[in-house]
Amino acid sequence: MLMRLVSFVLMTLAAWLAIPAAAQVPGQRHIAIDLVAETDRPAAGGEVTLAFVSRPEAGWHGYWKNPGDAGVETEAHWTLPAGATAGPIQYPVPHRLLIAGLMNYVYEGPFTQFVTLKLPAGLAAGTRLPIGVKLDYLVCTEEICVPESATLATTLTVGDGALMPERRAEFDRWRRALPKPLGSPASFAIDGGTFRLGVPFPAAAAAKDVYFFPVTDGAIDYAAPQTVSREGDLLVVETKAKAGKPAAVEGVLATGDGRGFAIQATPGTVAAPAKAMAWGAALAAFAGAVLGGLILNVMPCVFPILSLKALSLARSGGEGARGEALAYTAGVVLVCVALGAILLALRAGGATVGWAFQLQDPRVILVLLLLVTAIAFNLAGLFELSAPGAANRLAASGKGGAFATGALAAFVATPCTGPFMGAALGAALVLPWWGALAVFAGLGLGLALPFLAIGFIPGLRRRLPKPGAWMETLRRILSVPMFLTALALAWVLGQEAGVNGMTIGIAAAALLAAGLWWTGLRQARGRALAWLPGAAAAVVALASVAVITHAPAQATATVAGAEPFSETRLAQLQAEGRPVFAYFTADWCLTCKVNEKAVIETAAVRDALAKGKVAVLVGDWTDGDPALGRFIEAHNRAGVPLYLWYGRGGSQPEVLPQVLTQAMLIERAGG
Amino acid sequence: MRLAFATLAVAMALAAPAGAEQTVGAQAGNFRLTDMNGRNVELSQFRGKTVVLEWNNPGCPFVQKHYNSGNMQKTQAAARAEGAVWLTINSGAPGKQGYMTGTEAQSFVKKTKATPTDYLLDPKGVVGKGYGAKTTPHIYIIDGSGKLVYQGGIDDKPTADTADIAGARNHVLAALGELKAGKPVSVAETRPYGCSVKYAD
Repeated sequence: MLMRLVSFVLMTLAAWLAIPAAAQVPGQRHIAIDLVAETDRPAAGGEVTLAFVSRPEAGWHGYWKNPGDAGVETEAHWTLPAGATAGPIQYPVPHRLLIAGLMNYVYEGPFTQFVTLKLPAGLAAGTRLPIGVKLDYLVCTEEICVPESATLATTLTVGDGALMPERRAEFDRWRRALPKPLGSPASFAIDGGTFRLGVPFPAAAAAKDVYFFPVTDGAIDYAAPQTVSREGDLLVVETKAKAGKPAAVEGVLATGDGRGFAIQATPGTVAAPAKAMAWGAALAAFAGAVLGGLILNVMPCVFPILSLKALSLARSGGEGARGEALAYTAGVVLVCVALGAILLALRAGGATVGWAFQLQDPRVILVLLLLVTAIAFNLAGLFELSAPGAANRLAASGKGGAFATGALAAFVATPCTGPFMGAALGAALVLPWWGALAVFAGLGLGLALPFLAIGFIPGLRRRLPKPGAWMETLRRILSVPMFLTALALAWVLGQEAGVNGMTIGIAAAALLAAGLWWTGLRQARGRALAWLPGAAAAVVALASVAVITHAPAQATATVAGAEPFSETRLAQLQAEGRPVFAYFTADWCLTCKVNEKAVIETAAVRDALAKGKVAVLVGDWTDGDPALGRFIEAHNRAGVPLYLWYGRGGSQPEVLPQVLTQAMLIERAGG
Repeated sequence: MRLAFATLAVAMALAAPAGAEQTVGAQAGNFRLTDMNGRNVELSQFRGKTVVLEWNNPGCPFVQKHYNSGNMQKTQAAARAEGAVWLTINSGAPGKQGYMTGTEAQSFVKKTKATPTDYLLDPKGVVGKGYGAKTTPHIYIIDGSGKLVYQGGIDDKPTADTADIAGARNHVLAALGELKAGKPVSVAETRPYGCSVKYAD
């Protein structure tokens, strides 16, 4: 009794506080609703956005467009001036509320619905426009439901349509809760009682607590749990199907923190998430990786190290050879798996990295350059690695040496993996983590396979040529591909760190070479501590890592000279008489990303744009910036992608198709 | 008697797991419930007659819309006049809105001048969940051969406003009319509307 009295007092108090003095119906409503127009002086023939700003009482909830298992949709009955029309109610992203096994799609806190009002043309300025609406809606607690009606009214005056900045800012804040249209079409499949929705959603875009709110009734069982999986650029929602066979499914995909995307799905094939499939796919990727690893053995960056090691292995007896082969394999596999694990961890952290990601860092390239230079000079006979205590016991026998050689081979091999391993490693990235790691291990296993064969098959060892003086000559010859590898690395360094970075790299390599040469001379004379000059040079050379950085041109936007979009900047550029290519993108828009990779960021298009002195403006709509959204809408698009081409001197842009081709841009840049 | 109810309830739960639904065109699941007079009533005892199931919660404004306007009573009377059986079912759990004991149900029927064949109590929600009853009202029609021929709302105006009844299509009367004329039910499945059934948590 006391509880009820207290809650009654609190509720009355809350209602009293929530209702502004001017509200028409103070009554006993459980949702306080204000009708607000974005401008009080809309232009004749224009549009004005109206908002129902709603605040449910604590413990009460209002309903989404599709209320779920029970409840009803909100209905608006308008009383409008002649010629004016009101659009459908637009709803913000709802929440889920499961009560005793029945699903409700609701708003438990303040929420704002929108309606677009169209005004007839030809109204004289100053004409008063009385706007009236009766909203019929349902409001419930977990126990009871109350259908309510709110009669709301406001009066607008025909004016110039100008918006007050504070009002606009407030509307923009409310608008952020609306679902954004996803640029790419989704598909769904119903398969033995399972409803599966496939949504193109870039792998790099963040999403958590993903839930699909269907607008279409009869497609899915609302109360059934939904399982979400992401495979590369596809997000799959799986849940229980209802008996209905819808021709299309509409809804909102919520991706956490109140964000959501409006989705239209048509029937299609949606592959079951990689549960049963994983084994087959993982096995195929694993086989591919083993094969690729095997091919790697003849790559210029790996072959010289391996062939010499193989010959030294041939010299040792059966027992030793087997041990060394296993140690070598362990070294290779460990480094491959470690690199793979780092890669997966980085991707899980949201970074967009691919295989050989470590080669995107010029510092890693520099270290590799120095390492390969040292190996090349060693093969060329400049110095020997017999010094005890040296970390790199390349030619040394024994299991420790074999392990180190394996680790080195795997690390040095990575620059060569790209073109051969692309497919298998791409497959690895969409597998569950254990599958991906297995693929990386497979790569290592393939790389180590020849060694295992030599170690375990005595016949193979016997067929290798007898060691002799010719081996010294072979070693000298094998230094050539190693030098070529160093050259290639120097080029990569130049690409990443510019001319300065490349010069630092070559200087460091030369310094190292000089130090190693000195070491070689001391070794030839049999001096003690012969390794000192080489080691000192190596330390100084490695220190240059600290001064090398990404070249600034490479670090900025992918399209040279692209600037963030703003309407002021656009006007400025147009005033300068420059043609402008403006594109609007978002991290979660797959079509955008595909267009950027396949068209906008290609060398051909980049060159054409630069040659035509085309200014490039990029509008990033990832966070759903309402100002950007309005600009996009003004071009009759609900969302990204949007590609606009402003010709020289032309004020009206040409809206390019959502699927771009290189020819489209090159042709316009040239014209 | 209680044991029999419990046994059947369990059997029902096994045959139609919680949240399961009935399919139009298929045999409707059998059940046995205690009515407002404490008697056991089984669906199969009405074989040969058309049976209408109406989910009820007297506290729900959508139910009140149809009782206060007399629309539900009129529909019941019309169905009974055509020889159909009308079973009103309450799946509200004790302590929740609309839960009633047998005596309370008797006075509800008397007070509203309702004329169902019987008023059945399903406080554990076993039958409600077995039929996938989600709202009050929620209507099911089973033909003489035990086949489900209709499930959904009472009409096509999902509001709580009594003024909307006049212009609405009464799905129940339409389906019963078609059944009587030997025609298939043209609108066999609609979206029910109303309050959620107040099942036990």
